[in-house]
Amino acid sequence: MKTVDKLSESILDKLSIDFLRNQVLKNAYGNNDTVIAEMDPRMMLVWYLFFGLVPWFVNDLPFLLGCFLLVMITTLAARVTGLVLLLFGVGVFSQTGYLLVVTLLFGGDASAIVPLLVLTLKVATVSLASVTVFSGMDPDKLANGLMWYGCPERLSFSISYAYRILPILMEEFQNILLSYRLRGNPPEHEHLGGKIKYLIYQIKIIIHSFYPLMLNTAKRSRTTVEVLEIKGYRYAAINKQVKKIKLSTLHVSNNDFLFLSASFLWIAVTVLISTLI
Amino acid sequence: MNVIEIDHLTYSYPGAAHPTLKDITVKIEKGDFLAIVGNNGCGKSTFCKTLNGLIPQFISGDFQGSVRACGLDTRETDVGTLARKVGYVYQDFENQIIRPTVLDDASYACLNYAMPDYQQRGLCALEECGLSGRQDDFIWQLSGGQTHLLALAGAVSLQPEVLILDEPIAQLDPKHADRIYDVLRQLNEKQGKTIIVIEHHTEYIADFCKHVMLLKDGELQWMLPTEEALQRVEELQSCNIFPPQVTIAAHRMLQAGGFSEDSVKLPVTVEEGKGFFAPKPANDIPEKRPFLYKSDEIAAAFENVSVSYRSVKGEPRTVFSGLNLEIRKGDKVALIGSNGAGKSTMMKLLVGLLKPSSGDVLINGKSIRELKPEALSRQISMVYQNPEDMFIKDSIGRDISYAMEVRHIQDSAGRTEQLLERFRLTQLKDRDGRLLSGGQMRRASLAIGIALNPGILLLDEPTANLDIATRKEIMRTLEDMKEITETVMIATHDMQLVCEWAERIIVLWNGQVVADGSRDEIFGSREIVEKVGIRPPEIFSLGRAIAPDSLCYTIDTFLNAFEWRSSPDENS
Repeated sequence: MKTVDKLSESILDKLSIDFLRNQVLKNAYGNNDTVIAEMDPRMMLVWYLFFGLVPWFVNDLPFLLGCFLLVMITTLAARVTGLVLLLFGVGVFSQTGYLLVVTLLFGGDASAIVPLLVLTLKVATVSLASVTVFSGMDPDKLANGLMWYGCPERLSFSISYAYRILPILMEEFQNILLSYRLRGNPPEHEHLGGKIKYLIYQIKIIIHSFYPLMLNTAKRSRTTVEVLEIKGYRYAAINKQVKKIKLSTLHVSNNDFLFLSASFLWIAVTVLISTLI
Repeated sequence: MNVIEIDHLTYSYPGAAHPTLKDITVKIEKGDFLAIVGNNGCGKSTFCKTLNGLIPQFISGDFQGSVRACGLDTRETDVGTLARKVGYVYQDFENQIIRPTVLDDASYACLNYAMPDYQQRGLCALEECGLSGRQDDFIWQLSGGQTHLLALAGAVSLQPEVLILDEPIAQLDPKHADRIYDVLRQLNEKQGKTIIVIEHHTEYIADFCKHVMLLKDGELQWMLPTEEALQRVEELQSCNIFPPQVTIAAHRMLQAGGFSEDSVKLPVTVEEGKGFFAPKPANDIPEKRPFLYKSDEIAAAFENVSVSYRSVKGEPRTVFSGLNLEIRKGDKVALIGSNGAGKSTMMKLLVGLLKPSSGDVLINGKSIRELKPEALSRQISMVYQNPEDMFIKDSIGRDISYAMEVRHIQDSAGRTEQLLERFRLTQLKDRDGRLLSGGQMRRASLAIGIALNPGILLLDEPTANLDIATRKEIMRTLEDMKEITETVMIATHDMQLVCEWAERIIVLWNGQVVADGSRDEIFGSREIVEKVGIRPPEIFSLGRAIAPDSLCYTIDTFLNAFEWRSSPDENS
């Protein structure tokens, strides 16, 4: 019983806002020395275009398995944080995985499994490809890559600024939740009924936190808005020269070609295998 | 040559009934180091924002007269061009950091203005601000003081002629504060930059600034050389500015002696004060009073506590390892130590927000692991450094009553009224806490903190970011509260507060308790003071500089123990 208690405590402890904040930061900036993070963002976007789109249109099992294996390796190489992988797992399962389980439970046979497996593989492959690109790379680099392809400067600024503001928002949120925790009086939650009440209480608190959260953030961003003006953000958005300077930091290296060729080769092999079978 | 020329400037914010700045005419010379003083809400920040064109270009309003910065009319030149002439560092500097890494942020403005050597400029600025070697760090790895230096570097990178800083040291410990001012002095002396600071700490003004400008209700009273400005003790005090304690002491001594102040030049630094005062001959060496517990009952205890924070990269950062500490009932504890010494962590452990990785925290004899947070809040309460975070309802009246109402405490409305009355908030009870002034916000947060009548109260930096008058007011409030709350612990850098309020002082240094005792034991020990970098109140240092064994914490005790070295007439 004690171990169960301890386990539930540690899980609850892990799911604190502090943990979430740490994971967000870790995900964005904590893995900037991996193979994936050092790739050129433009190349990675091309790579993503393939693995994000093609699996939808192919139903060949060996090919999909091959793709899945590859993106799994790249995800591992990108050292994506546990939280993102967990979300990925839950996401895939809630999309198709549960159908697989239900089918098996209600006496479905192998004929039902294959199509479901194919669908699950597709979803998983595409998701992992996105995870590799979008959480394996530094958001600024990604933003520069998007800008090179002609996305407006505001979009790329929003991406990198979102990552700047997110930890602040979460810290603010954490403080407000703490106020509720210290001053609030949640219902007893020893028994099942209490637990449900407790859950409802917590959801209510989160909704109530929204008002102070927004006001506090608005108060803080008053300064940020002025600073953006002083620091010439508005001028940069219309100045072609700035874009050029920014993009000049992008370099395609041998590693990029190596990565693309390796991916290409691997896909070629899987296609070959699937034709042989 | 004048770098700023202001001619009959009158400005009102959009929709405001009265002008914030009234008919200001002033010239600021190139290479000046100017301090702007004035009480809260007298228009200091507004004045500074007119210098870089944010007013009237970005913030509109009714603007009359003219402001020329580096020869450019601020109404006709765009903000971008002006920003390269006049740099600005905000009071809430952490919101000024836009980019995730240090070098990125320092060079961000240069990049935006399309300077090809933007990285070089950023690196240069970092070096000038004493942050070289940190360029690849992430901003959340920096301490408060370093973040402020980074905000400064961001402004310096554009190589402006004028730098404006809004209360640069309000949130910093003395070591970091000195560092900021040393950097500013370098910029001023070596590079000839004009520095303008809004500053409440007159000791720093006396040490670093060349001129002082006094604003009162939006009007310019005068601009004088620092020495001369700080002599005007009464005028400054009437505007809620407190001259250095040395100056006040000398001023009071002169008044008591019946001398007219005009004939004497008052000392403004400890160094000058040394020549002014001498110990009274009959005075005995004061005895160091040790700290005595008032009770045997333990209110809170740390037993072998270790705790560490997760870090974005690499190993977790250990704050405490094997910490042992007891707080007894009735203790009035001040927790001191530099930024990052573990003060806030200790408080978070006590309210159960952080769990120790090993060891145990006890509140009234019970392990915190066995107590639910909501049960805990009856026994212990915490007031955060940032009062905004305490406001979870849309009016402070409802904020104060919230904890009582959800616990169905009888007559919570009556008690709320009492608390509002006690903290002089009755008039404001329907206002949102965030919209109050600094001092009102602080009072409201204290009222919220003691609403449940907890036995233990924790206060994190209750006097930070306040001007001296508001600070004195909060100190009075804290003095009042001594009777209501049994055990109180304050984490602070404010040594005047420590000296006047605390009965027991705990010094944290690198996650360890390095000293624990009465103020005589802490401040009287040169070893501790030097090791931890504590800056005692100026009057205390002055006393020690003249008579090494003296222990004067207030101007009154100082005046009892010291007299003139020579008659003031000779001195002048």
